[in-house]
Amino acid sequence: MSRTNKGPKILGEFDFSNLRLHEQQKVINAVRKGATRRDIMTWMMAAGASATTGGAIFSSASAAWANTPKRGGRLVCAGDQHGPADTLDPILCTASVDYWRGRMFYGKLVRLKDDLSWEPELAEEVLVNADATKWTFKIRKDVEFHNGKTLNADDVVYTLKRHLGADTKSIGKSQMDMVSEVKKINEHEVEVNLATPNADLVNSLGTFHFNVIQDGVTDFSTAIGTGPYRCKEFKPGVRTVGTPFENCWHGPGYMDEMEHFGIGDPVSRLNAFLAGDVDMMTNLPGKAVKQVEAAAGKDVWSIESGRYTSIVCHQGVSPSNNRDLVRAMQLCMDRTRIVKGELKGLGSVGNDQPINKAYFDYSPDIPQRPLDLDKAKYHFEKSGIGSTAIPIIAAEVSQAATFQCLALQREAKKIGMNIDVQKVTTDGYWGAVWMQGSPFNVTTWNMRPTANIMMTLAYKGDSNWNETFWQSDKFDKGLVDVRGVTDAAKRKQMYHDLQMDIHENGGSITPAHLNYTDGVASNVKGLTHVPLNNWGGAEAPPFIWKDA
Amino acid sequence: MFPILIKKIGAGLLTTLGVSIVIFVGTNLLPGDAAQIRLGQASTEDSLRALREELGLNLPLYQQYFRWLFNFVQGDFGTSLASGNVTIAQLISDRYENTLIVSSLTAMIGVPISVGLGIIAAMFPGTLYDRILTLGSVTLVAAPEFFTATLMVLFVVFFLGIGNAVVVGSIEDKNLVELITHFILPITTLCLVIAAQLIRMTRAAVLNVMSSPYIEMAILKGIPRRRVVMRHALLNAIGPIVNVVAINLAYVVTGVIVIEVYFGYSGLATLIVQGVQTRDYILIQTLGMIFCATYVILMMIADLSSILSNPRLRHPK
Repeated sequence: MSRTNKGPKILGEFDFSNLRLHEQQKVINAVRKGATRRDIMTWMMAAGASATTGGAIFSSASAAWANTPKRGGRLVCAGDQHGPADTLDPILCTASVDYWRGRMFYGKLVRLKDDLSWEPELAEEVLVNADATKWTFKIRKDVEFHNGKTLNADDVVYTLKRHLGADTKSIGKSQMDMVSEVKKINEHEVEVNLATPNADLVNSLGTFHFNVIQDGVTDFSTAIGTGPYRCKEFKPGVRTVGTPFENCWHGPGYMDEMEHFGIGDPVSRLNAFLAGDVDMMTNLPGKAVKQVEAAAGKDVWSIESGRYTSIVCHQGVSPSNNRDLVRAMQLCMDRTRIVKGELKGLGSVGNDQPINKAYFDYSPDIPQRPLDLDKAKYHFEKSGIGSTAIPIIAAEVSQAATFQCLALQREAKKIGMNIDVQKVTTDGYWGAVWMQGSPFNVTTWNMRPTANIMMTLAYKGDSNWNETFWQSDKFDKGLVDVRGVTDAAKRKQMYHDLQMDIHENGGSITPAHLNYTDGVASNVKGLTHVPLNNWGGAEAPPFIWKDA
Repeated sequence: MFPILIKKIGAGLLTTLGVSIVIFVGTNLLPGDAAQIRLGQASTEDSLRALREELGLNLPLYQQYFRWLFNFVQGDFGTSLASGNVTIAQLISDRYENTLIVSSLTAMIGVPISVGLGIIAAMFPGTLYDRILTLGSVTLVAAPEFFTATLMVLFVVFFLGIGNAVVVGSIEDKNLVELITHFILPITTLCLVIAAQLIRMTRAAVLNVMSSPYIEMAILKGIPRRRVVMRHALLNAIGPIVNVVAINLAYVVTGVIVIEVYFGYSGLATLIVQGVQTRDYILIQTLGMIFCATYVILMMIADLSSILSNPRLRHPK
């Protein structure tokens, strides 16, 4: 697509393709999420377009979305870092390359949609009792595995039980902690009993680690799943190739062949994408967005997400437990600069709490914390720290992770705060630095399917990953109580209070939420926009297809 | 001759053993272990303990080392700690072909051309041809390989619009010409990198011999210059040339991480770096041994050929 000049527009002549690509993506996103013609028109008119224009955009966006899939062709997908640790074992998946591969070959009980609601997949019906302590999954009857076996309750029980017990290696273990029992009721019905209520359990089961495998499988050198592609080749750190599985219950994958591998170096990945060697690439560098938008036949695939980067202030040690110091640092954070400068606009401003508008339970009523050096100075003087150096351990664990520290250092200097940014390697960071007692260090979190899961993981007093070591009985109680609340207004208020609590009293300096920004060739269609990971939350393999 | 060979092999084995200990100690000095890296941000005390027990990381270090050594000498390379269920042999067999093809093609194309150019430069020192070649090779020596690679991609792929910016696709069922096309950019880049050194060293080695009295004698006797170089000087210069060739070939097998990363194909050099990132000491040890053996063998060949080409070394007093 050529870039067109954005002069005054003539009524009726506006073309959807005149929008910048990420704006197109935004509109399509909105349409997919159920925005009406009126919504789009309001949105466009607010942005300065005419009424006719808004309507035209809605039509072309709907057309873009409603394109009929074609079969055939070869899709080459380039992820980022891959290596010997690549796995086909759902409980061990840790990276976006694993997630994508998992979705090619496996199915899940439920599927997460773009707005993070779920729809049944291998479970045709999901039932829950009034206090969310007993879940019943009715398993679809006509589902076949790649080796011809029919899916039944034993497979599901085996899959779920692998996450339970003290000695499980599962990455998704914490999301199943409250499960006391998984039992088979009959050939096609599984019951899950919980020790404490959890209305979010089904959302968890729609995430990457809960791909359904066959009963008794321990060898993951290949993948025997129910997904739209069969595993033709799997060489860890070299490549994975999938071919359509003819008997897939929802129809075989559209591509004749899907090849997937990693190119660790971002520049090489971008070269390969621009040269047309690969159809899609993960993690487009911010600097390259304009270049990709300008290139013919290449699109930016960007999704606003709740993932974030932040600076952790350990609430159990000095000086990071000095509330005035934390507040002063929060007020010194130049958030807009990080989003506009470092993220090139592909992110959103953070508000020192983990939930942003990508989450269903986000509260918009929390005032945005600004860059306010006067107030910061007041709190800094009250803290009594003086010119003592404040060490922040930084590693580039995500985009802007180091930059946020440097941005803070720069502003803090103006009020006499002496911040010492200590850069370390990302290699081994999570074991050697994170949660090892340092007062200040950087962190990053991927988005979780619900606000409750996110806040429970990173802020609940007894969580293994309570990185700020923040202890608040009131917060913990609210977090557990809200899981059983079904009244919408009450639930909204409770979620507001929880987010406000972290914003006011927590130990995080969260300047920015990061979009997932990938590159995709314009002729690749059927993209998903689930904000949980790269490439549309790795939910696209069943839908993705390629126009000639 | 035979006792020298035995001595060399013995020394090679001892070196390899020493290297294995150094690598093992080095790997264990790095922060974190394979279990911690694998679980990353999601680790808990329980899951860490479970994984460590499964991988045998709870054993004392010397036991881990001897367990590895014991299996290794029996030909059992073990299972990757980073994945837990893929064997090292599998990981290596998925990649050694790429490394082998790229390095042997580079050797086949790069070495004869560079040595030839070096000899020609030595035949006509000080001429325009010599000066251009010297300038070119000095420039290439100074340019880091990622820079050369970037220029290649920029020129060939984006300017001329031919070929791929990364190596994509499988190498199965390809003949020699197809393989060269498949790896054309990495091979060209590597040829340029080794050519720079080889040309300069060959030229220097030959010129060095050319200044010795017996060559002067030959010239005075009226033997044509070409014959002086090819017949009298070159044989005596073979020792140093073979040494440089051996070092460069060892580098092409083991040290091409930048090329592999830049052109996005998986080879052994990338594998050992991934091994270090995941603290997979079993993988690192095995690859370390392969690399060490490559060096030792190539060096041995270089030593033997310089002995064979030099009568004074062939018949020591």
